[in-house]
Parts: sequence; structure tokens; C-alpha cells
Amino acid sequence: MYRYDEFDAAFVAGRTAQFSDQVKRRLSGELSEDQFRPLRLMNGLYLQLHAYMLRIAVPYGTMNSRQMRKLAHIARTYDRGYGHFTTRQNIQFNWPRLKDIPAILEELASVEMHAIQTSGNCIRNVTTDQFAGAAADEILDPRPVAEIIRQWSSLHPEFSYLPRKFKIAITGAPNDRAAIRFHDIGLQAAVNGAGDIGWEVWVGGGLGRTPMVAKLINSFVPHEHLLAYLESILRVYNRYGRRDNKFKARIKILVHEEGLESIKGQVEAEFAEVRGGVLTLPQDELDRISAYFAPPDFADRSGQNVDVAYQSILDPAYGRWLDNNLHPHKQPGYASVTISLKPVGGAPGDATDSQIDVVADLAERYSYDELRVTHEQNLVLPHVAVADLRTVYDVLVANGLAEGNNNQITDMICCPGLDFCALANARSIPIAQEISRKFAAPERQKQIGDLKIKISGCINACGHHHVGHIGILGVEKKGGELYQITLGGDATETASVGKIIGPGFEADQVPGAIEKLVDFYIAQRQGEGESFLAAYRRLGEAPFKEALYGAA
Amino acid sequence: MEILTGNELTSGATVYLDGAGNWIEDLQAARLFAKEEAAERDAALAATKATGRIISLEIEEVSQEDGQVVPRRLRERIRAAGPTAPLTLNGQAYDRQHLGDDGHVSI
Repeated sequence: MYRYDEFDAAFVAGRTAQFSDQVKRRLSGELSEDQFRPLRLMNGLYLQLHAYMLRIAVPYGTMNSRQMRKLAHIARTYDRGYGHFTTRQNIQFNWPRLKDIPAILEELASVEMHAIQTSGNCIRNVTTDQFAGAAADEILDPRPVAEIIRQWSSLHPEFSYLPRKFKIAITGAPNDRAAIRFHDIGLQAAVNGAGDIGWEVWVGGGLGRTPMVAKLINSFVPHEHLLAYLESILRVYNRYGRRDNKFKARIKILVHEEGLESIKGQVEAEFAEVRGGVLTLPQDELDRISAYFAPPDFADRSGQNVDVAYQSILDPAYGRWLDNNLHPHKQPGYASVTISLKPVGGAPGDATDSQIDVVADLAERYSYDELRVTHEQNLVLPHVAVADLRTVYDVLVANGLAEGNNNQITDMICCPGLDFCALANARSIPIAQEISRKFAAPERQKQIGDLKIKISGCINACGHHHVGHIGILGVEKKGGELYQITLGGDATETASVGKIIGPGFEADQVPGAIEKLVDFYIAQRQGEGESFLAAYRRLGEAPFKEALYGAA
Repeated sequence: MEILTGNELTSGATVYLDGAGNWIEDLQAARLFAKEEAAERDAALAATKATGRIISLEIEEVSQEDGQVVPRRLRERIRAAGPTAPLTLNGQAYDRQHLGDDGHVSI
């Protein structure tokens, strides 16, 4: 894992001291709220419905056990004993008090963490594949480049006041687990004809009120010129992105309104200017950063396998967990383990301080001191020896973390919604809880197979509803809540935006509506191998609509 | 009828202006402004803003039902009562934020 150098430590310490002083001046009345608000937002501190909310950056979703334990300590000492892991691979605390924020930031700085650029119109925390550096299908580990992007984008003087926020996602694998086509910039590792590794660059993707799939702006940017290319895109966006209308200020609108070719021409012109300059990545610097992400010195565990079918007979719950929550590892005898934060009836993404501590312990003992946060609001132990799986599972069972539902219907993304969020129009968490209770039975979930439900409590789409195979969007109607259902969304390399299928539903009707859609899919699918999404794409919208609403 | 509500600076807790000019947690003790009291309402709002101790100030519509003050908007009902979703991780309700040891503030 990357360790802060002197520059990193100095800028985080400097910012912590600066913001601590600003908090002190706010509490004394020296600063007004109008003066303080932009300052607190630049440090990840929001005011929500009931309290402040502090959003802490987890760079590219990677942490060690020491950092994770610090989050547990903060939850226990300054908050209410739990944290909420988010679709940005970050963690949010929902109940901190303003006077405690300086102490929390000092605690974070002591483990090389902070909350800088988790809000505001700047380049946000870079996100990536939760299995980076471990996945069997990976071309290369994207985290060294993600770390270089973090360094380049942190406190970048030219890009601290962009037209709007800017999100970059990066993956080193052909199977996109980082939703790169729904980010302002998406980067995918690519190999050119000469066998060199570089980056496909996608631009102008996003969710929110105007969902768009990103467009390919360059099919191969060499490693050493990636920063220059990113800077070129940001310069064009900073110059031409709309500042007159907040809702049209993201780069996706610029690309859509101006056209890809026009934007590409501008970017290439800028690139011609900056290419080969100070942003060129020297190989020795790339090597230096990459060394931090070198694979662990894996003990030889080759030849060790787990017979899932046999284990399923002995212990069905363990078998289900093995079946769903493991991901193939590039090192023989190892697997990546997804720890579900989606217990039946739970709030997706929430973990208690003791659970956070337990995961830290497991990471330290069984995963070479590494863990990850996923954009689907789960946790990952990236490097677990197959021989240790049963031990890890037993600890997870004892701590309420062993739900074997990864990628199944109860593994939902869900935003905080109107229970917490000042922007929301409708509640999300109770909808997720009711759906998970309705489909709680493991055999029912297995019958349904891979199905992604994503729930947002407003059009800002923090719950990624546009890319749910089934999406649920809460809206306000006549003072009450109404839920629209979308079908056919997909966040992966076969990206698509879901379509609203018809009139919305009252909250208590939503689980039943989902069940009708699921039952129709099961009745119509061409065998268990055809997923919900594949069946929807084959059959089209009309029969699903009829199944849900009856014949017109 | 209307009430004045906001979040207390230090804790962020939801608070309401009462009849004595204090900012308190209990919605039921909030001062109710009739339509013809708009001037008093606006004066209280301006005075509060000047203190800088209550943020995210809002005027909210309420009605009285069976002797209870009920905000018109669901958002406000949730602000008054706390999150509605049960926190199943530890079996407890989320509960709303409280002023606690930060003490009351008054204008």
C-alpha cells in the first residue's frame, strides 16, 4: 500500500490545522455560516437533516487494518457506533458534532487519511475495481496510476473551482467492476498492437438527472502521457463547461451539447501543447509508486481448492457464501472475499464499530493487511488463502457479516434517502429493507440468480438507480412518496441506462411490484443461465410492462 | 400556521423556536405563527440569523391534529422524529440528534 511521503503528510497536516482553526472561528462567531459553509464543504463536512455528516476519502477504496481500526475508533468515540460505506468507496459518519471535527481530522491524519475533496467542485476521490491487484482477469493493477492521479488532483490549483464536481474511475480489467462508463472520465487498461500497456479514455458519463453512457475519446493513451491527457480534458472542461446552470454543468452536458468530435479536437489541441512537458511520467517514478502496490509475498498455497458442492451439502449457508462471495484470484490457492454489508432487513452499507474492527483483524491476519471498500457498498478481503476460508467465514458468522448474497437480489445499492439526506425526496432504506425481507430465503435468491437492484431517494441518483437491472427512484408526489421503477440498466462494460417502465408505486407496493417482475422473468427465461438483464434485453420492455401493470 | 426551525450550530440537532424565544428540541412546544404574524415571524428569523447559532433556518407549514403539531412535509416530520428506518445492526433505532451537553441557545 502507498505510504504518505513528506509532501502528503505536510499538506494533510496543514489542511487539518487550517480547518481546525476555521471551526474554532466559526464556533466563536468570528466566521458567519455564509463564510464557513464553503470551507466546511471543501473538507467533506455537510449538514444533513438531523446532524452534520463527515465524508472521509478512502483512496481507490483501499485501506490497511490500522486505518480501518481508526474508523472504528472514530465511530465509537465521536459518532454513534457505526459508519456508512458509500458508492464512492468512501465512509460517512452521520452524527458528528462540529466541535469534534478537528479531533476527528487529526485522528485521520495519524493514519494517512483525510476528508479533503470529498465535496465541492473539484476532482473527487478516484475509484477503482475492488479486486484491483488480485483479480485473475486483470491486465494490470490500476492502483499505482490511481495513486498518481490522486497526487496530481489533490489541491490542484487550476482545478479547485471547476464548473461542477468531477469523478474519475479506473480499472485494469476487461470486466468493468468500477462503472467507468458512468464517470466524468473512465479509464480502462488496454494493450496496443505493439504489446504496450496504456489506457482507453472514456469521457462524459454520469448518472443524476441526465444519465449518460461515457463516450470513447481515445482508445490508447500511453502510460507516460496519461496525466497530460487528463489535464487536457480538465482544461477544456474548465474553460467551456457551463457555469450558468448547475444542472448543466457536468462534462457530460458539454460533451453532449458540443459533440464528441468537437471536444476531442479541443482536447487533442491542448494535449499537443502539454504532451512531453512536466506532466510526463518518468518510468522511475512510476516504478517507485508501483513498488508500494507490489503483490504480497504470497505463501505457496497452490494446489489448495475448496469443493463448493461438497461444502454446500455439509453446511448450506457456508456453501452459499463460497458460491457467491468469492472472486477468482490471480495467485493459485487464494481468493478475494466479499464481506456483505447487506444483511436481511439491514441498512445497506452500514457497519458497526465492532464489525469494522473485526474486518480489520481479518484483513491483518488473513489478507496481508489489506482490505477494500466496494462501490456496491460491501467490503473485500482481497488476498485470502483458500485454506483460511472456513476460519474467516466462522468469524464473519459470529459478527453478523456472513450473508452469502453477493450479486443477488438482496445485495442492493441504496442511498441514505430522506431518512438522512437534505436533498432527498423519498426514503430509500426502508424500501431496501422490505425488499430484502421479501426475498430473504436463500433458495429463492439462488433461483433468481444475479440481479442488481439499485435505489435512489432523488434524481441525483446516489443509489445508481439508472444502472440497476431493476432501478427504483423515489420522488415526491402531492406531499407523499412515490417510487418509479426502471428496467435494463447496466453499470458494466455492456453499459446501458434503465428506462422508466410505467406509473410509480406507493412504498408498500414496491416489494410486490418487484416480485411480479421477478416471477415474470423466471417464467420467461431460457434456462437458469439467462440472467434477468439478458432476458430483458431479449424480450424488450413491453412484456415486462404488461406483467407489472396488466394488458393495456 | 407556521413554525421556525433550523439546526443548532454545534450539534446540528433539529431545533424549533418556542414562545419564549428559545431554540428547543420539542416540536410540540414550538411557537405557532398565524398568517397575520408574518412580521413577528420574519423579525424572529432575522434576529436568529444575526446570532449565527442556528443554521439552515426554514419557515415550515404545520397543522394541529388532535392537539399535536404536525408538519405538512414528510421531510419535516422525519426531521422532528429522526430516521424512520430501524438500525438493525445493533437492534436499536437511529434516534435523532440531541443538543446534549452543548446546551440550549437562545436569541
